[in-house]
Amino acid sequence: MSFLKNKKFWILLLILNNLVFFPVSIFSQNLPNNEGFFDVRSASTSLNDGVYKLDARLQLFMSEEARDALGSGVPLIIELNIEIIRIRRFLPDARDAELIIQYELQYRPLSQRYIVQRLNSLEQESFSTLYSALNHLGRIQGLPLIDSSLLNANSNYRVRFRALLGTRQYSAPLQILIFWRSEWDLKSEWYEWRLER
Amino acid sequence: MATRKINKIVYGFLGIAGIVLSFIALLLLSETAKNSENFDQLATTILLINIACLIVLFILLIGNLTELYRDYRANIPGSKLKARMVAMFSGLVIIPLCVVFYFSMQFINRGIDTWFNVEVEEGFDDALALSRTALETQMRDHLVATENVANELRNTDTRQLIFRLGALRQNIGASEITLFGRNSQILATSSNQEVNSLPESPTDEVIMQTRQNLPFVSLDPKGEGGYEIRTAIPLLLNEPNSPDSMGLLRARFFVPERIARMADTVDSSSSDYKRILFLREPLKRTFSLTLTIVLMISLLASISGAFFLSRRLVSPIQDLVAGTKAVAKGNFDMQITVPSRDEIGFLISSFNDMTKGLSLARKQASLSQAQVEEERTKLEIILASLSTGVISLETDLKLRTANKAAESILSIDLKKQYGKNLSDIAKGHSLLEQLFDIAKKRIDKGDVKWREQIVLRGEIGRRVLLCECTAIKSDKSDEGGFVIVFDDITALQQAQRDAAWGEVARRLAHEIKNPLTPIQLSAERMRRKYLNKMSRKDGAIMDRATHTIVQQVEAMKEMVNAFSDYARAPDMDIHLFGITSLINEIADLYRSKESDIKIIVEAEANLPEIMADSGRVRQMLHNLIRNSTEILEFQDLGIITISATLVNNEGIDFISISVNDNGHGFASESIEKVFDPYVTSKPKGTGLGLAIVKKLVEEHIGRIEAENLPEGGASITILLPLNEVAREAAMALIPTKSENRKTQA
Repeated sequence: MSFLKNKKFWILLLILNNLVFFPVSIFSQNLPNNEGFFDVRSASTSLNDGVYKLDARLQLFMSEEARDALGSGVPLIIELNIEIIRIRRFLPDARDAELIIQYELQYRPLSQRYIVQRLNSLEQESFSTLYSALNHLGRIQGLPLIDSSLLNANSNYRVRFRALLGTRQYSAPLQILIFWRSEWDLKSEWYEWRLER
Repeated sequence: MATRKINKIVYGFLGIAGIVLSFIALLLLSETAKNSENFDQLATTILLINIACLIVLFILLIGNLTELYRDYRANIPGSKLKARMVAMFSGLVIIPLCVVFYFSMQFINRGIDTWFNVEVEEGFDDALALSRTALETQMRDHLVATENVANELRNTDTRQLIFRLGALRQNIGASEITLFGRNSQILATSSNQEVNSLPESPTDEVIMQTRQNLPFVSLDPKGEGGYEIRTAIPLLLNEPNSPDSMGLLRARFFVPERIARMADTVDSSSSDYKRILFLREPLKRTFSLTLTIVLMISLLASISGAFFLSRRLVSPIQDLVAGTKAVAKGNFDMQITVPSRDEIGFLISSFNDMTKGLSLARKQASLSQAQVEEERTKLEIILASLSTGVISLETDLKLRTANKAAESILSIDLKKQYGKNLSDIAKGHSLLEQLFDIAKKRIDKGDVKWREQIVLRGEIGRRVLLCECTAIKSDKSDEGGFVIVFDDITALQQAQRDAAWGEVARRLAHEIKNPLTPIQLSAERMRRKYLNKMSRKDGAIMDRATHTIVQQVEAMKEMVNAFSDYARAPDMDIHLFGITSLINEIADLYRSKESDIKIIVEAEANLPEIMADSGRVRQMLHNLIRNSTEILEFQDLGIITISATLVNNEGIDFISISVNDNGHGFASESIEKVFDPYVTSKPKGTGLGLAIVKKLVEEHIGRIEAENLPEGGASITILLPLNEVAREAAMALIPTKSENRKTQA
């Protein structure tokens, strides 16, 4: 591996690297500056009739590219990830339950309405603006999480929650595009709190 | 060498990794070909694998290029040819690939663009607008109808509402009509479907709009397909508990199935087309990227292939060059593996045959050389064991070789002097200098083959050499020269002389002694018988004559006895004794006589005892002192100096005894023969004194030398070995001499 010590090798590598990855760099150029963001403003759980329910407020703001895609008839998937984690003293905490709720946000050009459909239950609602649709999505009220009987009475739990834009469902060209662009990487930080017993 | 091996392993590994990655990418591609849905799932993976493959090939190429550049700069054989071949192969591949790439890119970009026709897009937009217009008419109609219902309900008693609402719903053709009070509380509702659950609450945007006293209408797609028109009108209610409270009337209308289906088709087709339009750029970019990666992989793989092929082609040539270099350095055992049966293979086979032939020839030459060396070694051994000195010289009289005997005879170490001129070597070495002078004179005269007995004078006496010179003839002028062979015949000569004199003495003593006794007896008888009978005058003559006869016979007897002593040597009685005391003892004997001669003894203090025959040493000293006293007998102020010192000569310890006198010295013409019998400068001398001394000295393996002192007078120096060790060493130094002595003893 003597060539690894050669300066000329590295210079040549740099030049050829630019040549090879030039198309890739072109591919990822022209990025709009208007990036979106997902943020969990507040979240809490309450025990109601033996069932823990989630109340949360999210701020969802789509990037321009995602908005363009939505306007062009590309449905967006918004995922809510909720994890119930059992706190353990000497061992790593155990993830006892995981809940993924998926919403499909779609624009229908004929009715000029934004449709929000909960994929788990196929319930749907329509909104005249994207803002009101996202506002509706961002207001989670009394979402059933888990039956309290399924939790260990002697253990403490913490809940964490986040929202993200799902991309797995897209076609290959779009997936490749998404792979290189951060505009599609919309994901909130985990919001975490202790489960009140 | 090790670095090249490691490089080879790394390149091999990278090559295999590239092939494996390409294989995996192909496998995945074939999987996606079976089912297009798989492509969506695997496209990114395939792309990443291809990029990994690209990176591997890229590193491989850089490594190969760097190595080629280094070899090219270092002028490694075959590197230039390899560079040319790589450039040629790469050129052959790069140009067509670039052409294909260019046209493919053009085709992709233009081809994809042509799929999306502007007219189609406009058609979809128009269809969408038309559908929307048609539906909007319905929406407006339904809104107006709902407003009419609301107007009628304003004047209706709240308790009558429930009955009126059903009729009004049927009148306007709504699927559901609901009156909401304050806080979206349902006041009354009517539906054309079975009521299983309560009507859903108005949405926020409905509430917000009606609160602004504005009517609301919307076209909502239904989850299971179809459309629903929703209308809402703000309504002032006369509720008993809260008069003039604001409520809203919401009505839902189903869009007729046929219209809904058509609208759905328009909506979904338009959406699909827009989606595809949206994906046009990503699609183009994806195709471009894929094509670029394929191009780069093909390009890098082709160049790597070019390296591989050129290496395969150049490798035998490099082997051949390495082989030629090895042969040039003398490695004739070099054999190169024949790579193929083509012309290069034939060339390598010929090279192998050539090296085989050379190797065989060299082995034979080595064998011959070994034989010559063996012969030479034998000759050297023979020369070394010879007692004859052999010196070989170049034509310019530079020393080529000399054997041990030559070194011993000439008392010089010649081995370190090979290649030097003999005249330079001889400086400071008396014996060699004399020999060289004689030889040079002869050779300069052109006399290159001669034989001569020469006498050399050295520190330890004279040496008689029987010398023979022969020219070495050679076809090459620089390989000629001379061989000088010489024997030290000093001892031999002396031994012969001693033997002759011994024989003479023995016979003379025998022959002379026999008649002497009858002569003496006869003379005495004549004297006794006739002296008294003769006259006085005759008696006196008779008395004188017989007395003379008897006296002379006695003298002759003494002479004969001296001869006998010379011829007959009794056994040596070697023992330790102090030489100083012996000298003093003998000197005292001569001092006691009434004489004017002064005897001085100068012995070194603390002189060690000598291991010798004290009787013989005593006889030596007697002879020497007597010899000097006889010389100084008729001289005034005669002085004899006897000195004794310890000397180290050629690494051997000797006791040196010198007897000097201030007489007339030796005659210069006979100084070389003073130790021969019957050589004397004294009027009354027998000439046997010094001969006997010399014989006694040689019996001790000692040395004796006579010389005239520069201030006048004679000097005789005796060197006697101090002990047995010294005697052995002295014997080894003059082997021939000692051998002769031993033989004699």
